Amino acid sequence: MKRHVLVAIFLLLSVVTLTGIASADFLRMYTADIVHPSDAATKKSSLSEYCPSLKGTSADTPVYYFDSKRPGATVLVLGGTHPNEAAGFMAALLLTENITVDSGKFIIIPQACGSGFTCTDPLEGLPDFYTIKTTNGTRKFRFGSRVSNPLDQWPDPLVYMHYPSGQSLSGFETRNLNRSYPGRIDGNFSEQAGYAILELIKKEHVDVAFDLHEAAPEIPIINAIITHERCKDIGASAILELELNSLTYALEISPKNFHGLSHREWGDSSSVQPFLMETSNPIQGRLRGKTNAELVTGGVDKFYAQAVKSAKFRITYDSANGYPLKVRVARHIAGIQAILTAYNETFPDKKIYFSNIPSYDDINTKGIGNFLK
Amino acid sequence: MSNELLVLIVLLVTFAAGVFVLKLPSGVALALSALLGAIAGGEGIPIRHLVEGSIAFLDPILIVFTAMVFMKVVNATGALASINFAIITRMHKYPTLLIILMVFFIMFPGMLTGISSTCILTTGALVAPALLAMGMPIPAVGALLAMSAVFGMIAPPINLPVMIIGGGVDMPYIGFEKPLILATFPAAIITALYFRIRYLRKFDIAQVLAKLPPTVLPKYGYKMFIPILFVIGMMIATRVLAKYIPDIGIPLIFLIGALLGFGTGEKFKLDKMIKEALHDSLPILAILVGVGMFVQIMTLTGVRGFIATSLLDLPQGLLYPAIAIIMPAFGSAFTASSVFGVPLVYAFLGTNEIVVTSALTLIAGVGDLMPPPLLLPIFAGQIVGEKNNFTILKYCAVPIILTLTIGVLMIMYAREIGAFL
Ligand SMILES: [Zn+2]
Repeated sequence: MKRHVLVAIFLLLSVVTLTGIASADFLRMYTADIVHPSDAATKKSSLSEYCPSLKGTSADTPVYYFDSKRPGATVLVLGGTHPNEAAGFMAALLLTENITVDSGKFIIIPQACGSGFTCTDPLEGLPDFYTIKTTNGTRKFRFGSRVSNPLDQWPDPLVYMHYPSGQSLSGFETRNLNRSYPGRIDGNFSEQAGYAILELIKKEHVDVAFDLHEAAPEIPIINAIITHERCKDIGASAILELELNSLTYALEISPKNFHGLSHREWGDSSSVQPFLMETSNPIQGRLRGKTNAELVTGGVDKFYAQAVKSAKFRITYDSANGYPLKVRVARHIAGIQAILTAYNETFPDKKIYFSNIPSYDDINTKGIGNFLK
Repeated sequence: MSNELLVLIVLLVTFAAGVFVLKLPSGVALALSALLGAIAGGEGIPIRHLVEGSIAFLDPILIVFTAMVFMKVVNATGALASINFAIITRMHKYPTLLIILMVFFIMFPGMLTGISSTCILTTGALVAPALLAMGMPIPAVGALLAMSAVFGMIAPPINLPVMIIGGGVDMPYIGFEKPLILATFPAAIITALYFRIRYLRKFDIAQVLAKLPPTVLPKYGYKMFIPILFVIGMMIATRVLAKYIPDIGIPLIFLIGALLGFGTGEKFKLDKMIKEALHDSLPILAILVGVGMFVQIMTLTGVRGFIATSLLDLPQGLLYPAIAIIMPAFGSAFTASSVFGVPLVYAFLGTNEIVVTSALTLIAGVGDLMPPPLLLPIFAGQIVGEKNNFTILKYCAVPIILTLTIGVLMIMYAREIGAFL
C-alpha cells in the first residue's frame, strides 16, 4: 500500500477512537438527574402535556405539582432555564424535595431547559457534572449548557429574529429558552418549549411565577429581582423585607423593548406576576480562572478576587469567601419567601402558605446537602 | 510565576515550534499545542474538551467549504472572467472611483452575512483579477481584499461580533447602524485611496485587456450570472424579506448557487470542483478545528481568565494600546469579542456602550487578519495566488494601524460621539 493510504487509515482510526471515547462521555449527559419529590407532591407530569410535539424529546422535562387542595394562589418555580446556572436548578430542587404546601398550589420545573442539560457550551471548558454530599451519600448532577443542545436544534440562523416582535439577536440565542417567549406551537424546538411553559401558566392559572437564574459577577443586574412593571410594588416590599434580614437586592423593571424574556413576555401574555432572580456565579464569568466542578459548588476564583480590587467597574464577588453554591441557593430561597410574603399582603384573599423550607441561615450553616434526600 | 502564565507559555512555544520547527500545518500545530497546554495545566489528556473545542466552529467550516465550491463553479463557467472584463472596459478611465466602489463591493457580502471570509470568496474573487490586470502588485490586491473583508464584517446591517457581545451584556441589537458606519466607511474609503495612490500605477488599457482571459459573455449571455445573482439575492432577501423567505443558511445558499451553475456557461465537472474546493480550503478548515481546541483548553486551564484579568488590571492610559494589541492578537473576531468584548464594555460603562461596542468589534475584527489563523490573508492569498500569507499581512500594516486608531479614538471619545450621532 502507498504511504499516504496508510497515513489516511491511521488518521481515520485515531479519529474513530477519539470520538468513540468522547461520545461515551457526551452520552453520559443523557441520563436524567434523580429527583426525590417531597411527600406533598400530588402529581408528576412533563412539559409535553402543554405542547404535545415535545413528547419524547429532551425538552419534555418533568413538572411536579404540590396541591394543598385548599384555596390560595398557584405558584410556579422554574429552575434550570439556563442549565449552566446551577443555583437556579438547585434552589428549585431543594423546594421540590422538601416543600409542604398548606394553602394554594406549587408547580415546580427543576430543569426548565431539559435539552440544555444534555450538553455543555463549546469553548467554555465546562465540567459535565458536579457532586453534592448529602446525608445519604454523594449525589451527582449534570452541569449543562446555557442553551438547547444543537443536536435538538441546528443549525442556528446567523441572526435570531424573535417571534412575534421581530427583534434581532445573535443566532446563538435561537436556542435560548429565555429569549423564546411567548413561543409558538409550530415554532422551532426552543420556541415550542417556551410555548409549553406559557401554556402551563395560562392553563393552571398561575398567579406568581419565578424564573431562577445566575449571571457572571461582572454583570450589573446581579443580586437583583427583575419583574414586570405591573408587579413593582410587590417587588419593592419584598426587597424591604429582605433588607431587614441584611440581604441586599436591587429591583429592576423589565425593559419594554427587550423581548423574549420571561419577565417581559409572561407578564404581557397572561395575568401572572413574574419574578426573575439573579445571583453571582463565577463559573459564568469571563475573568474566571481554572474551570471545573469545584468552581460550580465552591464559587472561589482567584482572578475575581483580584478583579474586585483592581477593576474600574462593579464586580459582585466576595473576596473572602467567594460565592459558594449554598449562598446562591439560599438567596434564591429567601427571595421566593419574601416575594410570596409580599404577595400575601397584597392579595389577602388568595394567600399561599408553604412550610418545611430551610431559612437562609440554615442553608448557609448546614449546607445544601443537608436538605437533599 | 503563576500556573496560568506557565500554561500560556507552553501553549505559545509549542505552537511556534510546531509551525516553524516541525513545519506542521497551523491547524495541526494548534491541536498539538492545546494537548500539551492541557497537560501543563494539570488536566491530563481531556479528550471530551479537545473534541468539544474541535467542533465549536462547525458552522463557519461549512460556510467556508461551500463558498469555496461555489467560487470554483463560477470560475469554471467563465462568469468571473466576464465580470472582470466588463468592469475594466467600462471603468478604466476612473481608477480612483473604481477602487472605492470595488472596496464597497467586496464589503457587501460581509455586511449582509457578518462573516468576513464570504467577502473574499465571493465579491473579492470577482474583482481581484481586474485589479491584478491593472498592474497592482499581487500582495497588495490580497491585502486590499483582506482589509475590505474586515470592514465588511463590521459594517451594518449585520455585525455578528456586536451580537455576541450583546448576548453577554443583555444589549439588544438596536441603534448600531450609525456608530458602525462611522467605524467602517471612512476607514474603507481611506484604505481604498491608500492602495490607489501607493500601488496602482498608470496602465495601458489595451495591454490590460490583452492580459485578461477573454470574456465568454457574448457566447452564453446574461444567464451566466444566474448563480451569482442567486447567492447575492438570497443573502439580501433572507435579511430584507425575513418574514416571507426562510433563512435556509449560508452553506445551502452557496451549494444551490453552485448547482445553478450547470448550463450557464463553460462546462464543468462537479466532483472535480468539490475536490479542488476541499483541497484549497483544507488548511483553513484545519485551523478552525485547531483554534477551537486551543481556546477550549485556554478556558479550561484558566489562561483565558488570566489574560482578561491582566488586561483589566492595566491603568487606563495603557488600557487603550493594550486593547489594540491584545484583542487582534486573539486571531479571531468572534473569539476576541466574546472573551474581551463583554468585560471591556463594563470597563467603559457610563460613556456610550453602543459606540464602545461598535469600536471594540472593529478592533476585534482586525483579529481575522492575524496569526496564528491568518484567516483572511490565507483566503486572499488563494484568490490572488500569493504563497506567503505574511507578505499580505505586511501590506495590510498601514490600514491596520489606521483601523486600530479609529477604534481606540471611538472608545476614548465614545460619550461625545454618542451625543453627536
Ligand atoms: Zn440565566
